[in-house]
Amino acid sequence: MTPPGSEAELLARVVSGDRSAFDTVMSAHQDRVFSVCLRILGDRERALDATQDTFLTVFRKAGQFEGRSAVGTWIYRIAVNVCYDQIRRARRRPSESLPDYVDPSDPAAEAAIESAALRPEIEAALSALPTEFRNAVILSDLEGLSLPEVAEVMGVPVGTVKSRVFRGRRLLARQLGNQNTS
Amino acid sequence: MHRHDLDLIAALADGSLDDETEARALVESCEECRAEHRSQLAVLELLGSTPRVGMSDLERAALHRDLWTELSSRPSKARSGRSWYRWSYVAAGLFVAVGLAGVITGQIQRYDEESAGVAQTFAEADSDLSTFSAEDSEMPLQDAESASGGGETAATTTMAAEEALPFPFAELADQARAARESGERSSPISSSEEDIDRCLLSAGLADEVVVEELDLDQRYLVVMARDVTSEPTVTFIAVDSCEIVYVDG
Repeated sequence: MTPPGSEAELLARVVSGDRSAFDTVMSAHQDRVFSVCLRILGDRERALDATQDTFLTVFRKAGQFEGRSAVGTWIYRIAVNVCYDQIRRARRRPSESLPDYVDPSDPAAEAAIESAALRPEIEAALSALPTEFRNAVILSDLEGLSLPEVAEVMGVPVGTVKSRVFRGRRLLARQLGNQNTS
Repeated sequence: MHRHDLDLIAALADGSLDDETEARALVESCEECRAEHRSQLAVLELLGSTPRVGMSDLERAALHRDLWTELSSRPSKARSGRSWYRWSYVAAGLFVAVGLAGVITGQIQRYDEESAGVAQTFAEADSDLSTFSAEDSEMPLQDAESASGGGETAATTTMAAEEALPFPFAELADQARAARESGERSSPISSSEEDIDRCLLSAGLADEVVVEELDLDQRYLVVMARDVTSEPTVTFIAVDSCEIVYVDG
């Protein structure tokens, strides 16, 4: 039995069609999901699409949540899988490169986008990492997930995550060192 | 340096150790360890200096609006597509049954006359299925999900590939490719030769090779072409059922 008021209980209410419960779950996780998607995909519009796909999946699969992990971890796992799916599709259709999205009617948008961007040298170094290392570093060191949470999200053992995080940081250090010396 | 040492140094750098005694002793004891520790700290400091990423209020509002629009409109569309899809299979099945009945009752003499019509009907059904399949492969995730769960046969693998899977098979496929390219095998193969041959034959991949085996909720064979190519197709086969669960590439 899930404790009343918990996120698991909110998800149970989502299954029965409670829209406000879904809004509560979504509000709690949407920014972090977007952040993870943006850092993995490197494109704002694709990250927004991925965020939407993630929550569509959350809504439709709420009944499949078994409570073996935190709701947030389950949602980030869906988000990472959605991003992988997008990357896979983009590989098949390489011409579909979307421009960064700025809506001029929103005065807050441009500032938000500027503050959202990673520093260019870090972004370049991160994007040069192999996918599994990059995502481990993004989830652990940028998004602040614990190693067991990252393991759950990525579907690999904790030991593998430790190794990927370490090697990812090591490669990042080399990349950044090379950038500084070039 | 041993992997345990590397894990310790990484954990010391990010502050996730409950007891730092062993890690500090390690870092003190070797120059290479100190260099690794400094390097990890420097990267963490840099990553820590990056600003948080967020949506604007407008983007947030648009996300909610689009999401609810999608949730309100898609189910009916998915249902109608699904119903059409099921009927196309029923129709195809009926044509097969009629064709067989014709053969069994000895009406072979009329074969030439009828076959043209049956072939045309099959061609139409096949064309319809191809059209549906092509549309389906372009469908976003949510459609693929709502489309799954019926009496699927041939299209199941395609649809399953579009669904949110229990494991990140696309990423695992990338890892398998990288491991093969570098000559290392990340997961040992524990299934017997007999099981492997049986599954490869059953999946129609007798000419391909098992490059590794993953032990997740069940065991999966990771299969690639025998010849190393730059972006090989990776197929995941469940060992117990010998069913293809995912194809990447």
